Amino acid sequence: MENTKLDQYIKQLAEIADAPGKACYDLKASGKNLVGWVAPYAPEEIVYAAGAIPVGLWGGQVELKKARTYLPPFACSIMQSIMEGEATGVYDILSAVLIPAPCDTLKCFGQKWKGSCPAIPFVHPQNRKLDCAVDFLAGQYEMIRKKLEEILSVEITDEALADAIAVYNDCRYAVREFTEVAADYPQIITPTVRHQILKAAMFMDKKDYTVIIKGITHELRKMKPQEWGGKKVIVTGITLEPTDLLQIFEEFSVAVVGDDLAQESRQFRTDVVYYGSPIRSLAKQWQNHRACSLAFDPYKERVSYLSRLARATKADGVIIALMKFCDPEEYDVPIIMEEMEKEGIPLLTIEIDQQSNSYEQIKTRIQSFVESME
Amino acid sequence: MYTMGIDIGSASSKAVILKDGRDIICDAVIQAGTGTSGPDRVMEEIYSKSGISPDDIKRTVATGYGRFSVETADRQVSEITCHAKGISFLIPGAHTILDIGGQDVKAIAIDDKGSVRNFYMNDKCAAGTGRFIEVMSRILEVDISEMGDWDEKSKENVVVSSTCTVFAESEVISLLSQKKNKEDIIRGVHNSVVSRASGLLYRTALEDKVVFTGGVAKNEGVYRSLVRELKRPVYRAEKPQITGAVGAACIAWNDLQQ
Repeated sequence: MENTKLDQYIKQLAEIADAPGKACYDLKASGKNLVGWVAPYAPEEIVYAAGAIPVGLWGGQVELKKARTYLPPFACSIMQSIMEGEATGVYDILSAVLIPAPCDTLKCFGQKWKGSCPAIPFVHPQNRKLDCAVDFLAGQYEMIRKKLEEILSVEITDEALADAIAVYNDCRYAVREFTEVAADYPQIITPTVRHQILKAAMFMDKKDYTVIIKGITHELRKMKPQEWGGKKVIVTGITLEPTDLLQIFEEFSVAVVGDDLAQESRQFRTDVVYYGSPIRSLAKQWQNHRACSLAFDPYKERVSYLSRLARATKADGVIIALMKFCDPEEYDVPIIMEEMEKEGIPLLTIEIDQQSNSYEQIKTRIQSFVESME
Repeated sequence: MYTMGIDIGSASSKAVILKDGRDIICDAVIQAGTGTSGPDRVMEEIYSKSGISPDDIKRTVATGYGRFSVETADRQVSEITCHAKGISFLIPGAHTILDIGGQDVKAIAIDDKGSVRNFYMNDKCAAGTGRFIEVMSRILEVDISEMGDWDEKSKENVVVSSTCTVFAESEVISLLSQKKNKEDIIRGVHNSVVSRASGLLYRTALEDKVVFTGGVAKNEGVYRSLVRELKRPVYRAEKPQITGAVGAACIAWNDLQQ
């Protein structure tokens, strides 16, 4: 069934996801200030409340030249790419950049920003469940607020923050609804399209993005789901890109019916609930953030979350997209393997390396995985 | 009825003709892999050796790194599935396979029917692969086919690291300059390959029978090192290089039965 409106929505987001640089220049040309935030998590709402657009920095497929001067070769693949971008002026369009520190590499990374705009490193506390964790993070967020006010010459009021939180919660709900509905339409929402739709959120005004993603869900619901002859999987990890890699999924008729990727669903999973003040509410979100390799969790809820997600979405298997040299993710792999074996859920690990554009080995792995499930 | 399995690897091309899904009529191996003249030459050789005409082949399945470049194939199947089928055909009762080829190392757990239960592959790195041994044989000036014999003479334990081919290469050069015996260094190289491979094997349930396959299985030194590491019998097919092609020919036969 043809659906021109749906195609237009998808095309709009795909264009942004495929050319984030252009999307940023367009936003800047419209008079907006852009504030970058380095993966994986940052309080985007504070940026939004300052009237600027938060832009996610997640690296990309780049050849490393200058980054090697500043980082060891075993620093994670995303950080290598971002460092290359910093050193080559890719991020000069930004007014400021927020750099979190949930892992060792990021902790050091935040202290050596090589871009031309000011950097605001901050720390998410890992003893998250203590009350003082919220106090501490609220302090960090107040620091970000103050610095952004100075850099952007604006006042970030509590009212603007509360409005921003409402915009973002609305967006989170819309994305969660989309991912649920999209799972029934793998012919239309292919792994590539799904990724493009979710990735575009990083380079848009969330208000505009929410309108489009709600539109996509609305249009999908009008259509009758078709039987899917291929396999369905859950993907987990930090990111699952670029398109060349996602096309391998499509080549072997593997649909993504749910994800636990830091770049995708983990961004939208946890709402910001009211907790005294807008800043404290934002800080509370980190305490409520669950099932994530980057947030301390002695119970490893991520593992049971994955098996629950696989069952809920009737997935045939789980694929770990393991970011090269990402320690927090690598530590989780054996624990996930053990659980999936126990639960009888087929599991495959593929390596994500932003410095490589050769996917033959991944192709063999995915084909073998599909064949082993037949 | 004849079916054919073609395995185009990174270092060699292999072809097998199977009759009625039961008898291996002919096999051919050319030591040149994907992107070379190897694939064409292996086809020429198998037809001339067997005397069978291409028209008599009812179905062809291609596997290996270069599987998508085989134009005559009816279907492409991954080498992991093919090795599992091939080993199950050649060595009934096999449940664990270690396949070391030119650039890949795979540990595969299979069920009684030869279907893959799970598998683990090496990272994108030449350490522990056939290429690793090839590089070392060049520095050591020992023909790769003689590495096993040299290994047998080893008396002293020499450690060669298993993390990186380039680092290991300079390590071997420095061992040579320290006047260490070649046979001891060669055993160190073989142990290093096994140490890397066993990291993958231990992720499987490691159920008996354990079968060692792929080109590197022809190396007696690596084989003995693997037996020492696993402390249990390790089986090998008579021609370990062709097991993937055998599996592909079996799958082609099964396709025809459906």
